[in-house]
Amino acid sequence: MTAGFHPDAAPGYTPSATERSVHWVRQLAVIVLISAILLPIAWIFLTAFKTPRDVYSISSALWFTPTLENLQTVFREPWNLGNKIFNSFAVAGGTVLLAMPMATMAAYAFSRFDFRFKQSIFLVVIASQFIPAAVVVLPYFLMFKEAGMLDTRTALVLVNLSIVLPYAVWMIKGFIDAVPMEIEESAVVDGASRARVIWEIVVPTALPGIITAAVFSFTLTWNEFLFALIIGKQHALTLPIGLIGFRTERGDLWELMAAGGVLITAPMFLISLLVQKQFVGSLTAGSVR
Amino acid sequence: MTIISLSHIDKSFGPVRIVKDLNLTIEDQEFLVFLGPSGCGKTTTMRMVAGLEHPTMGDVAFDGQRMNEVPTQRRDVAMVFQNYGLYPHMSVAQNIAYPLKLRGIALGERDKLVAKAADRVELGPFLKRMPRELSGGQRQRVALARSIVRTPRVFLMDEPLSNLDAKLRVVARAQIKHLAEDLKVTTIYVTHDQVEAMTLAHRVAVMQDGVIRQLGAPEDIYNDPADSFVAGFIGSPAMNLLPVQAQVSGLLAEGGLQIRLNAPRPGALLLGARAEDMRLGSLDDAHLQADVFTFEMLGESTMATVMVGQTLIAVKAPKDLRLRSGARIGIHFDPQRLYWFDAASGARIRD
Amino acid sequence: MKRHRAHARSCAPDTASLRKPSVSLLRRIPAQWLLLTPALLFVAAMAVFPLVYSFVLSFREWRLAKSVTPQGWVGLQNYWYLLTDDPDFLEAIQVTSVFVVANVLVTLLVSLGAALLLNKAGRINTIARVLLILPFVMSPALVGISFRFFLNGEYGIVHHLIGLAIPSMVDTIWLADKTLAMVAVVAADVWHWAPYMTLVMLGGLASVPKETEEAARVDGASAWAVFRDVTLPQLLPVISIVLVLKTVFALKAFDIIYTLSNGGPGRSTQTLAYFVYETAFNYYDMGYAAAAAYILTAVLLVASGFYLRLVFRK
Repeated sequence: MTAGFHPDAAPGYTPSATERSVHWVRQLAVIVLISAILLPIAWIFLTAFKTPRDVYSISSALWFTPTLENLQTVFREPWNLGNKIFNSFAVAGGTVLLAMPMATMAAYAFSRFDFRFKQSIFLVVIASQFIPAAVVVLPYFLMFKEAGMLDTRTALVLVNLSIVLPYAVWMIKGFIDAVPMEIEESAVVDGASRARVIWEIVVPTALPGIITAAVFSFTLTWNEFLFALIIGKQHALTLPIGLIGFRTERGDLWELMAAGGVLITAPMFLISLLVQKQFVGSLTAGSVR
Repeated sequence: MTIISLSHIDKSFGPVRIVKDLNLTIEDQEFLVFLGPSGCGKTTTMRMVAGLEHPTMGDVAFDGQRMNEVPTQRRDVAMVFQNYGLYPHMSVAQNIAYPLKLRGIALGERDKLVAKAADRVELGPFLKRMPRELSGGQRQRVALARSIVRTPRVFLMDEPLSNLDAKLRVVARAQIKHLAEDLKVTTIYVTHDQVEAMTLAHRVAVMQDGVIRQLGAPEDIYNDPADSFVAGFIGSPAMNLLPVQAQVSGLLAEGGLQIRLNAPRPGALLLGARAEDMRLGSLDDAHLQADVFTFEMLGESTMATVMVGQTLIAVKAPKDLRLRSGARIGIHFDPQRLYWFDAASGARIRD
Repeated sequence: MKRHRAHARSCAPDTASLRKPSVSLLRRIPAQWLLLTPALLFVAAMAVFPLVYSFVLSFREWRLAKSVTPQGWVGLQNYWYLLTDDPDFLEAIQVTSVFVVANVLVTLLVSLGAALLLNKAGRINTIARVLLILPFVMSPALVGISFRFFLNGEYGIVHHLIGLAIPSMVDTIWLADKTLAMVAVVAADVWHWAPYMTLVMLGGLASVPKETEEAARVDGASAWAVFRDVTLPQLLPVISIVLVLKTVFALKAFDIIYTLSNGGPGRSTQTLAYFVYETAFNYYDMGYAAAAAYILTAVLLVASGFYLRLVFRK
């Protein structure tokens, strides 16, 4: 595509009328796109700061007196979002802390070694991301019930680990593949054992990828709904479940839901904006390249 | 019949000015080479002729008609890209046929023209292959065939030989020269390789930093360089350029070496002399005495290099000569073939 | 894309160290198995095992309400009943088909269009590209809840705006209408995923060599011809990836449907995934649910087979 021009270009080139109108149509389309993405988000954020009266009336859509009341209410009984935030952090953090080492080691093995059944085993690990939650939620439920682990954060961590590992292994493997073998060979020549090579050479070089995988895994776990729904009952409730708690028999408490929405989403937005560039590449690595 | 005129062409990418007030007229059927190091603006200038870039200022004209507003697809130019730009999902035949297909030429006629173009570059047996199955040299010929399958007003070539290995390059060079003469189309050729420029061009435009340093026929560029940049860029080995202080008594080079030559004017100068215009001779009446730094055997000749201050000076010698490093030799310049340049500006000093 | 392979030597045990007096067990196991075991064990335990368990369960009858342990073996009866005699299941299949097809088509068109739109330089385009990741990191549950809020008959902003644009729709309750509910669910899922797929498409566009497009222009192709003859064919791999990936994710979708429409009105937005959930955790008919889940899995396996073949062709 040529370098973009501006309708008021320098005298060397004057865009034709068609070119100019195409340009403006494009700009308009992009603005529509941005609005489509931002407006729902903005609306939720706005709603979080509205009083119930303002929420339920369209006329005070944009002109309203903001209140921090909702954000305070959600932390009190019976919603206790504070507790759920803690659970979400604990579960997501725990999952990531366990998943990264496991995934990195496995990714390294897949990347550097050749062994029987390697392709098949790799395929099995990757393919497990395609298992519908619906088919494993039953056995999980029953398994944890047997072990008396229902309604525990540990159970949630285990479940989320199984969700997250395939993605993490795939992403990290892509990054390890990109680390040139020469670096490892130099280290070995210098006298490093394989463990040291992995820990001191490969991991630091592939670190951007590991961080991306970590963020991706954190996001998946943070937003995970179905298993949290099934496994959590009272103690191990996470934020997404906290959200539907605002759907009462009396009606939906939108302003509180919005407040909860803000709490659950803001951290994700921040993190994702930081690592967004690598998010996409990793998931489709090998195909797009 | 296509004369290309570039008047006051200026091109900037953001704050960086790539082409600076370039003026040039390319004659009909002329083979013009833009020669220069990377980043000098040669490719950018050619792309402006193609319409792939728009000049920030100035006009591009074909036969007097201003082309700035004319989009690339309607300029009737043909271009061979550096990486060939072959359509990977089309066969060789389909690649070559594409310009014809776009012009609505019927299938039968198309096939004929494609076959003709393919034969011209000796690609006949490869018509059904896909680009990824071809070698670099073959791909380059597909790009060539695609550009000659119709008769464009202008041929543009962007370093078409730079991705080929040395041997192939010589062969391809000859093919391109032959093709251009056959087809009688105005051609613009961009390269950083001065051998290509010298062998292919009717005229060479030597560019540096967005400016044409010298425009002329290859022999003029070679024998009568306009400044030290052109002098040092053309020729293999490159012309020796020695910084000297011109004094009444002679020349003072770095390291205190005396050279017994007379300069056209006093001051800081660059002395230019080609390796083949110098000879090794007796020490007594040598213009310059120095110790051999390296001695190389080139096959058809040998080359002795000496270090004068920070500068290496190379002298061609007969192929049977043998010298040791450190041996003291006497270098004789040819007073008829000396070039003088102002040390600061690089401008040529003519007497 | 495999570029680095370890030497065969590293698979063999380190015999030199075996001769030393006390050598740790770890030294004797080939490194790759050591590295792999934690992840493999986990996948086996938490993915393979439940799959097998579910499979076995699907051949049994088990109403949780009646008994704490599985009841009896019924062979293929669950599957048979599902496929031939259960109108709800058949409806779920229909709903799923509509949902998946609509979802994938719209996502594909939107993401391709948006990618082409955003592929130029410019500040607005850069801003838009940065924002593309946001809908994806929003919890699908929240997306569903939000859209439900936006479509509310009294105070929903989207309902209101559409009522302004199309006066005949001022009073329609979206989530009470079968078609509109499906539209809403598809729209929500597209909102959630299409921006991410746009990023994927942008990556694909970037990998199309500019020279091929420029060569086409020089050859005389109009902008449309360049797209049709040169860009699009080279985009096909990426488009296939998006197609298959979105199909898989649409088949798995649950959170959005649960929070937006609850499968309703009636069962008109109840996809297979939802059906399984309901059968298991509302009706507590475990064996039956397992069978339904396996039919869904079968479909998913076919779809993911395509995906894996596409990605691993190298």
